[in-house]
Amino acid sequence: MAKEPQKTDEEEGGEFADFLADVSQEIAQRVESLDPSIKKQPEAKKTPAAAEGRKKTPIAADAGLIVEWPNVVDRIIEEIR
Amino acid sequence: MSVVNYGTREITCKIVYYGPGRSGKTTNLQHVYSKLPEERKGKMVSLATDTDRTLFFDFLPLDLGTISGFATRFQLYTVPGQVYYAATRKLVLQGVDGVVFVADSQARQMAENIESLQDLHANLAEEGLDPRTIPLVMQYNKRDLPASEISPVEELDETLNFRGVPHFSATAVTGGGVFETLRSISSLVLSRLSAPAVKES
Repeated sequence: MAKEPQKTDEEEGGEFADFLADVSQEIAQRVESLDPSIKKQPEAKKTPAAAEGRKKTPIAADAGLIVEWPNVVDRIIEEIR
Repeated sequence: MSVVNYGTREITCKIVYYGPGRSGKTTNLQHVYSKLPEERKGKMVSLATDTDRTLFFDFLPLDLGTISGFATRFQLYTVPGQVYYAATRKLVLQGVDGVVFVADSQARQMAENIESLQDLHANLAEEGLDPRTIPLVMQYNKRDLPASEISPVEELDETLNFRGVPHFSATAVTGGGVFETLRSISSLVLSRLSAPAVKES
């Protein structure tokens, strides 16, 4: 069933805090289960390609701003046409 | 897929709010932004027209700080709902980790909801993502409108939610259901969190 959207002002004030608490708990569980330090030590060739990061979504150091603006601008111009 | 990066100690998740024009995608982000503590408020990038309709996309970086030793960032995007911005929607979907489909509950908007959902599936497929498995949450927005103008939740669910994913009623303009939706999609995305691939040889 869909959840009802009714909220009190007090609840709204804590919305972000509640969200952050949930996310923190979820991440803690996932990180623990995935932490390579508690698994067997990988051989030299098995080193995670951590520095490569995600390929599809370039992430800049400043909160993930788009770093491929020339490409984005080209696409925007294409749409306008 | 969202990745926990042990090298840089970072977790980054990209969530896209998808749906037909004027369904309330930008309003969702605006509510989230309004509830952020000052110290966490970055810049919400919103490119709107004179009539307040999203022209290209909205972008809200959510810096959640360090969680379990990892700098955690959520990136919330909206797409322009209007049909003629197809290329922009494809662009925004690149690298998406989870989708919130914001449906307009108005009965007269059902066809637009269906068209947008089909558009989402087509664009996900083009990105090489499986529309049947990508983390997805449905939000039925504008539940504050008169009952005579909106479709029952059951009807919306039967028509749009064939995957049986979590769904939420919302009144984004007042914030109702916004964080419930965000928490749900975040949970789904994080449950798929994975370490970077480790080659076996």
